[in-house]
Amino acid sequence: MTKQIWRVLGWSLVMLLVVEALTGAALAAFYAPSSTDAWASVAYVQDQMPWGWLVRGLHFHAASAIVIISGVHLLQIAVAGTYRERAAAWWIGLVLVLLVLGFAISGYVLRWDQAGYWANRVEVGIAAGTPVVGGLIRSLAIGGNEYGNLTLTRFYTLHVIALPALITAGVVVHIVLAKRARDWSDGLRAAFAMAAVFAVLVGYVVSQHGADLAAPADPSAAFDARPLWYFRWLFELRHLAGSAEKLAAMAAPAVVGGFLVALPLVDKPERQAKRMPWIAGVVGLFALIFVLTIASFVQDSGDADLAKRQAQAEKDASRTRALAVKHGVPATGPLDIKQGIVMYRARSLYEKRCTGCHAATSKDRKGPIIGAGHGNRAWLTAFLKEPSGDAFWGHTKLAKTDDAMKPVELGEGDLADLTELLYAQSGASDVDAARRDRGKVIFDKACTDCHAIEEGVAGASAPGLGGLGSRDWYTSFIGNPKSPVHMGSDHSQMPRFDKDLSIVDRDALADYLVWLRTATQRDVDLLEPL
Amino acid sequence: MGDDPDRRKILTCAVGGGLGLVIAVPAARLVLGPTGEQTVTTPTDPLDVGAADRLKVGGPWQKVDVVAPLVKDGWTTARDVVLGAAFVRRTADNQAQALSAVCPHLGCAVGWDGKNFLCPCHDSKFTGDGDAIAGTGPAKRGLDPLPVKIEDGRLRLTWIRYQLDTASRDKA
Repeated sequence: MTKQIWRVLGWSLVMLLVVEALTGAALAAFYAPSSTDAWASVAYVQDQMPWGWLVRGLHFHAASAIVIISGVHLLQIAVAGTYRERAAAWWIGLVLVLLVLGFAISGYVLRWDQAGYWANRVEVGIAAGTPVVGGLIRSLAIGGNEYGNLTLTRFYTLHVIALPALITAGVVVHIVLAKRARDWSDGLRAAFAMAAVFAVLVGYVVSQHGADLAAPADPSAAFDARPLWYFRWLFELRHLAGSAEKLAAMAAPAVVGGFLVALPLVDKPERQAKRMPWIAGVVGLFALIFVLTIASFVQDSGDADLAKRQAQAEKDASRTRALAVKHGVPATGPLDIKQGIVMYRARSLYEKRCTGCHAATSKDRKGPIIGAGHGNRAWLTAFLKEPSGDAFWGHTKLAKTDDAMKPVELGEGDLADLTELLYAQSGASDVDAARRDRGKVIFDKACTDCHAIEEGVAGASAPGLGGLGSRDWYTSFIGNPKSPVHMGSDHSQMPRFDKDLSIVDRDALADYLVWLRTATQRDVDLLEPL
Repeated sequence: MGDDPDRRKILTCAVGGGLGLVIAVPAARLVLGPTGEQTVTTPTDPLDVGAADRLKVGGPWQKVDVVAPLVKDGWTTARDVVLGAAFVRRTADNQAQALSAVCPHLGCAVGWDGKNFLCPCHDSKFTGDGDAIAGTGPAKRGLDPLPVKIEDGRLRLTWIRYQLDTASRDKA
């Protein structure tokens, strides 16, 4: 009677395998096994599909439940010693455990996030260390020479075709071999146990809101790869083994497996009391695995630097997933996801290459402040009144020389007319033509000694102003501010960017600057963070 | 004679087995197809990884993404594909050094903390010159140097992946 209680373990495992099959089928209806789409399709299920997180969570965590209950099942059979009568069932059971671990390895990489990608690289790296055939194993597993589309289609086939076929056959044989008389109460107990296991599983999945999904796989970004928790004891063993780690990685599973396979052959005594050494061996082994697993987690939890990196990784993950929900994932893959942010390219370039000299907040600003309203009427007027003011040329070397532009001294009306002429150069659609034409008269009288206003023409001793503030003008200026049409080689400290930035990038920056002209500070603040 | 049950059985097995082989052999050949092939073609010529001006002579290591202009991955072609990362520093006006960020142990991406390179997976540590520090982790060799040169003010780096977990440095 008391022994019968343990039989529910096997049935709970069958129930969990059915959960895996059903949730797996549902997930397969969404999953796209390609390096550009895999992460995106998983994120789509997790974050956007109704109950997607629940189905995915069940699929992921049921695997953990299978590992735990398999372990208890195995331990119970070993302690009871029933493998002595049914050795074949025991051996098939061990094969089933291997298949479950195969599911875990092949499934983890499918999400193509940082966690699954790097864990797989390490696992395949270990397998590639096999003497003689290591290279072949690697090439066979990842489908060629490098991680890519074929890596995913292969692990996907393994995960949804090959392993399910094998495990189904294995489970049927296992049950037939382990068959025993069953009565009605047995079935009822099994049903209750399945319900209990399922309830705990659902509770856990809900508490975790499904399963983790890290940022998309990025071959250039360092990531603290950790194996799934049931391989942690091997991970810890490698740590402890130091330079003998290869031996540990290969030999430890072989020793454990060999011991379990040999048990029915060596453990023969009829009397339970005489079996104590074997029972102690199995229990000791499980205890060791348990302790190593705990030790691995304890070691990580004491590492403050690791915690910091993991917090950052989590931030990256939630940010990328939020962007995927908001903008969708580009067809070129999730690493390009930020391209969906408005003016992302230009803004990130601006952030990296321009703010040092042009941001109001920069400590060593060397040029005019560029921000919201740059180049609009108010900005132009303020500039004309005080060209060497702090926000304008004040921080440049030019401002301290005799070549610096003198303040324009005009009445408000004339100043507005001149401003309108300069403003009109940008091609803005709201130009007051009458003012602009009056401005041209003033310009010809007061400014032409130094400047020119015709497109592409250099001034006598100062910048040509034709097209000032237009997209083409910005592209040209960014490309080579030292050109005679612009500042001239003596008057500019700004480096030329036509070698460093492609024409596409310079155009993008120009677009951003044109946008700034009509933007308010609030518009800038409302831009999505990079 | 045609009704001999043994004969029938043998014949059935032969026909069935033959049919099975006819299906299995091409399928197996197909699945083995990519093995040992260059399924992902990455450029072997130097790649542009940025302006040399971004590195000061004698300055510290800087991480650069190694981006291939064109990569064929199975049936797709993509532009600007990130192959991995490298650390570069400038030793003279027209000279630079580069180290692959791929850990020579099992291929994780190593980080630079300002003093040492550290692999986050199995704790291998490397000196500021990329040599493995004995006793820290399982790496059997130092970080892999990559060919890099300065041409027209641009850093041009050749991306190579080496075999992992060996003391010698052989191309993968």
